[in-house]
Amino acid sequence: MVFVFGVNFPEQTLVKRALETFYGIGPKASQGIMARFHIFPWAKVGTLKNAQVLDLTAELSDMKIENDLRREVQENIRRLKDMGTYRGRRHAMGLPVRGQRTRNQITTARKLNRIERGGTGRVQM
Amino acid sequence: MASSTCLRRFSQLSLDRATQPAFAPRSLLAATQASCFSTSAARHANPTGKKGMGAAPKRGTKTLNVKKGRKDTVKDLSKKPSPGDRKAMRKRIVLSNNNALEVPGLKDLEKDNALDPSNEGKVMGLAENVVDALRAVEAFKPSQGWSLFRRPATLMRKETIQVAQLLKEAEEAPEGQAKKTLRRILTGQRMSGKSTLILQGLAMGVLRDWVVIHLPEGQDLVNAHTEYAPLPGSQPTQYTQDLYTANLLSQIIKANEKILASININTNPSLPFPLPANSNLKQLADLGIINPEASWPVFAALWKELTQPGRPPIMLGLDGLSHVMGESQYMSAEVKRIHAFDLTIVRHFIDHLSGKVALPNGGLVLAATTKSNSPTSPALDFSIQVAEARQNKASDLPQWNPYANVDQRAMEALKDIEVLKVGGMSKEEARSIMEYYAASGMLRAKVDEGFVTEKWSLAGMGNIGELERASVRLRV
Repeated sequence: MVFVFGVNFPEQTLVKRALETFYGIGPKASQGIMARFHIFPWAKVGTLKNAQVLDLTAELSDMKIENDLRREVQENIRRLKDMGTYRGRRHAMGLPVRGQRTRNQITTARKLNRIERGGTGRVQM
Repeated sequence: MASSTCLRRFSQLSLDRATQPAFAPRSLLAATQASCFSTSAARHANPTGKKGMGAAPKRGTKTLNVKKGRKDTVKDLSKKPSPGDRKAMRKRIVLSNNNALEVPGLKDLEKDNALDPSNEGKVMGLAENVVDALRAVEAFKPSQGWSLFRRPATLMRKETIQVAQLLKEAEEAPEGQAKKTLRRILTGQRMSGKSTLILQGLAMGVLRDWVVIHLPEGQDLVNAHTEYAPLPGSQPTQYTQDLYTANLLSQIIKANEKILASININTNPSLPFPLPANSNLKQLADLGIINPEASWPVFAALWKELTQPGRPPIMLGLDGLSHVMGESQYMSAEVKRIHAFDLTIVRHFIDHLSGKVALPNGGLVLAATTKSNSPTSPALDFSIQVAEARQNKASDLPQWNPYANVDQRAMEALKDIEVLKVGGMSKEEARSIMEYYAASGMLRAKVDEGFVTEKWSLAGMGNIGELERASVRLRV
């Protein structure tokens, strides 16, 4: 198990995949981070050197990810709601925000559009 | 009251009494109730019975999922291959076939006759030690038909003799002149035997006691499947591939064990670890394998040793040239693609291929293009065209379309290359190899003029891969 940014990953996990489990890191961001520390795209967490793991952790702690990012997104939505805007209301109701029709196919909106967007905790792999 | 309402009210009277017994309705019309004649429910029901037409269920609602937990799903009980097994099977190289017959009178290539032009058109066997060396440098490929015959043997084609001439030229420098470094790019159609020609060149190199170094697949260097790291102190930044280099070192040792063990170090390489006194090149390379982080400095030191005066000539090979003629899949720290020429091993090879660096003890640099798995490389294609025109003494060389995009670095590196075109075999060569097929018992037909001509034409004017397909692999 390798400890990156407070989370344990099994040795055979791809570094890319491990990074992308963090809220706020997607394909682009993970590619950038790995390029910065010269980690090749197919590297496994177990093959990283100790210094590289520390570098990664340091880099991640400088980024706005996980709960900080969740809080920011939620605050933005809450602000909309507190101002009483249409968008805020739609978020609160879990309905599409940007003028989509609601006759059918609003699964994504139901899933995502909430005041507490992004959930509260880390999603386990 | 309209008559229809009257009628409806009347029909509902009995229902009203049943549902609202406690308080009498102030007005009969105040509470709207379901009509017992109503057909709306039936009309609004999904007529087609299609599922999934409505909105998704609200969160938290329990839905009935009939698919989940179905008992009759059959589990696949067959044993899965363990990790790495499939790849090992795919890359497996079989060099013998016990069912094939021993070919009587099959001569081996030997040190004395390896470069003999009179071999042309003969099938020659490869000796055990040569096969081991070639296997070590991964010169055999799974797609080639080695597994069909008793033991590895190759046809000495016209092109093979040309390569042999190059080796001879590199070995024998005229009095008072420096030894020659010869460079060739092997081109030709798909399955025309480019990789096999490299293999033959390497085999001749092994026989003639050359140091043989081969990069078996250009793609492996650039597809970002091995570790990389910036080379400290390089400007512009070069990148080393430590594990790949360590593996290359081990291949070099396996293929050239005797030669490397017989040469003692006489330069004083600066390496990050102490070197035992009076050590030989094999020990040096071994240290590079043990410490992959230092494998590139070790490789550089080994190369420096090999280019000292009085050392054997070097054979340098690469298969799949077009892969290294562009940007690799590796990313620099600025998240830009690293050009393949900035990888130290590729850089090293290209320097020798382009003629920027010469081999002081003589040597041959062979690079094969590939037609079955190659990214388009306009620079390479164009440079080959120009080189062919130059070799044919054409009056007007092809001009590059100035509006087309080109990899300038590749163009620069391939400015004055020479190509060796691997074409179709002649009919005599085809006859010779088919007689070998027949003697091995893999071709059950009378090899005569008509039969050879038929197969030769079927194989697209003597393309050796197609010929093998048409005569040995294809069973009617």
